[in-house]
Amino acid sequence: MSLYNFKKIAVVPTAKDFIDIMLSKTQRKTPTVVHKHYKISRIRSFYMRKIKYTQQNFHDRLSQILTEFPKLDDVHPFYADLMNVLYDKDHYKLALGQLNTAKHLIDNVSRDYLRLLKYGDSLYRCKQLKRAALGRMATIMKRQGANLTYLEQVRQHLARLPSIDPYTRTIIICGFPNVGKSSFINKITRADVEVQPYAFTTKSLYVGHTDYKYLRWQVIDTPGILDHPLEERNVIEMQAVTALAHLRACVLYFLDLSEQCGHLLDEQIKLYESIKPLFANKPLIIVANKTDIVKLDDLTSERKALLKDIEEDPNVALLEMSTITDFGVMEVKSAACEKLLTYRVDQKMRTKKVDGILNRLHVTIPEPRDNVERPPCIPDSILMKKQQLADKRKRKLERDIELEEGDDYVLDRNKHYVEIPEEERYDIIPEIWEGHNVADYIDPDIFQKLEELEREEEVREQSGMYIVPKIELDDTLREIKALAIKIREKKFILKDEARVNKQSNKPKLPRTVAAKIRNRSVTRLRSEMTELGVDMTDTDNAHFTKTKSRSRSAGPVAKRMKMDVDKRSESKNRSVSRTPRNELGVKDVAMQRRVSKLAHLAISKKVRKYGLKGEADRFIGTKKPKHLFAGKRGIGKTERR
Amino acid sequence: MAFRVQFENNNEIGVFSKLTNSYCLVGIGGSENFYSTFESELSETIPVIHASLAGCRIIGRMSVGNKHGLLVPNSTFDTELQHLRNSLPDKVKLQRIEERLSALGNVVACNDYVALVHPDIDRETEEIIADTLNVEVFRQTIANNVLVGSYSVLSNRGALVHPNTPLSDQQELSTLLQLPLAAGTVNRGSNAVAAGMVVNDWCAFTGMDTTSTEVTVIESIFRLNDAVPSAITSSMRATLIESMT
Repeated sequence: MSLYNFKKIAVVPTAKDFIDIMLSKTQRKTPTVVHKHYKISRIRSFYMRKIKYTQQNFHDRLSQILTEFPKLDDVHPFYADLMNVLYDKDHYKLALGQLNTAKHLIDNVSRDYLRLLKYGDSLYRCKQLKRAALGRMATIMKRQGANLTYLEQVRQHLARLPSIDPYTRTIIICGFPNVGKSSFINKITRADVEVQPYAFTTKSLYVGHTDYKYLRWQVIDTPGILDHPLEERNVIEMQAVTALAHLRACVLYFLDLSEQCGHLLDEQIKLYESIKPLFANKPLIIVANKTDIVKLDDLTSERKALLKDIEEDPNVALLEMSTITDFGVMEVKSAACEKLLTYRVDQKMRTKKVDGILNRLHVTIPEPRDNVERPPCIPDSILMKKQQLADKRKRKLERDIELEEGDDYVLDRNKHYVEIPEEERYDIIPEIWEGHNVADYIDPDIFQKLEELEREEEVREQSGMYIVPKIELDDTLREIKALAIKIREKKFILKDEARVNKQSNKPKLPRTVAAKIRNRSVTRLRSEMTELGVDMTDTDNAHFTKTKSRSRSAGPVAKRMKMDVDKRSESKNRSVSRTPRNELGVKDVAMQRRVSKLAHLAISKKVRKYGLKGEADRFIGTKKPKHLFAGKRGIGKTERR
Repeated sequence: MAFRVQFENNNEIGVFSKLTNSYCLVGIGGSENFYSTFESELSETIPVIHASLAGCRIIGRMSVGNKHGLLVPNSTFDTELQHLRNSLPDKVKLQRIEERLSALGNVVACNDYVALVHPDIDRETEEIIADTLNVEVFRQTIANNVLVGSYSVLSNRGALVHPNTPLSDQQELSTLLQLPLAAGTVNRGSNAVAAGMVVNDWCAFTGMDTTSTEVTVIESIFRLNDAVPSAITSSMRATLIESMT
């Protein structure tokens, strides 16, 4: 894009690196094997090649450096001067000149030694000549160490210079330090220059770009300038002066009426007068910044007198601005752009440049040649769309209302509610009411439902559903009632007992303990029932329940005597010892039989499979299975099994 | 409205599309980006038709048309002709013509009332153009260039011609066309204005490279967005001088 691009200069290595690079390149890219019994011409050419190759490399690299660095005489005077200020022209030229000399010296060394090598009569001598040649080249380069480091620094600095196009439309901002120059460039471009409340925050030139009238404008922020003679200016100020002197741009001279920058107004005006020669033949605008603190009209009369000269100058515009409140920022920008644009167009009109494009600045309006109407053909739908757009624009927007009401403006969110009548739109509905979330009770047809319920209730009432009938008690009913009361009481007691029993936290009895003695029996049932008035006379044959024996001793007589079972059961009083393990948890004989059969089966299966002698014959298939015991040492796999 | 579009990374969109007041033809590309730009802007008002002519997608240069009709070269396939006939509105006449200069878009420039044609075009073709497109036909050159279709863009509201057209020629053309006329470029300085843009009475499409000054010139000469041609000589003048020198 820009004319000058200093970012592409190749890195300049230090002297040591330079030599290393060259010699190792020779080593890598030329043949390395030679023997003394080779023909002498072959040996000579072997070493000649090495010398020539090294020389060529030195030459190429140095020429590359010399061509890549900008020549001060060729670049735009702005850049030439800037580089003079930043890097010292003499030093720069000297460095490049010495590199050029070094290049020639290296060429000469190579030529001399190539000539000598023609007389080399052995491998050893040839090799010594080559060594001497490369050594001398290296020495020459070593002497350039300081120049090379200097050029590397220059290269790095150049690469970071802003790419300023000296020929394009440019606006330069200048003035005392701390008058708001950087704030302004930040306002109108996206340059993002650092702004701090102390002098010389900006130490070099900064560039930003802005748009105006379809064109791109380059805005340059300069470091602050102090009022002293040119010779005493430092490097930072000199950059600003360079930009002002060489760029044909619109100059914005910033004044700080509030004097917060630390310089009185008369000092600022004195500076303006002293650097005025730099503004010659350039559109100039004086910008009075920081009007949020002091306005132009607020100035005392003697101060105002200072500005009188400026105000009266027809070539200079004086504008007010505040970068804090944004007052006048855009006006200053457009005034500057407009002024420069007319200036540039004026200049161009004077030269022949514009003649070539005059035909393009012209719109030819036809002379009518007949009376035929040739209207455009635009479909109605397009026209309608346009109309709609226009209508939409006519509508009063929220922003218009905001502008109208100013600080009193409050956003009204409720006014666009549909379906809610206007008088109800602003009613406040509580979120929680009497401890209930109102939202839970919102039902769109609550009134309808309520009405329905009421109607239902009415019907019920009418049909007499809620009238309690009087009940006359006769004898049987009374009896039933008394009985019912008793039954209820009993039920309650049973329930209570059950609850108490359940609550007991006594340990659960083990299986070995004898069964609990049951307290329910037929006789008891009979007596209790008769007590309650139930007729139990005819129930001798009633089969109330299957009663289990209370104990083994009192059980019904077995149908068949079992001779070999428990002798213990004969005596009820004998203490019951621990039951054998194979009988634990076994309910009855049938179960016992089944269990023992299962056990026998399991054992016999195993016995058959492994050919054992019996249950006691313990068999382990493989005592040491290979896969578990084989060593896996070597690469640390002993852990892996 | 003027829109910037690109056809498969190519800015010469006038080559791949043909825009008139009653239909729009769009070349068949690899993706539908190009087509959909036209579709979104136009499809509510006029048909936007995928088309190819003789198997080529450079339909803008091969065909010529206005709201009354469409002329396609002799090389057009029957199927393509059928497709066009089926897609075009009934009142648009479609005609295949036998003409040696088969790139009709390059040799004919027309709006709904007037047409400029290549000086060497057939007499018969000239008659067909006059009948089918319902226009007055003038044999002309633009800036000493016979390819009038390539170097001029016409709508019913204005005309843009080759940037080197001298003022006297401009005056003559303007009187023939009965349109306000300006010389200009598209696509960052391209001379072939018809290749870089298409326009009808209410909207224009230009190549993606077109600069903002070029777009403004186009909008003002074709009166898009309520712009007026006089803007070129008044408010835009300084900008134009700045951007062109």
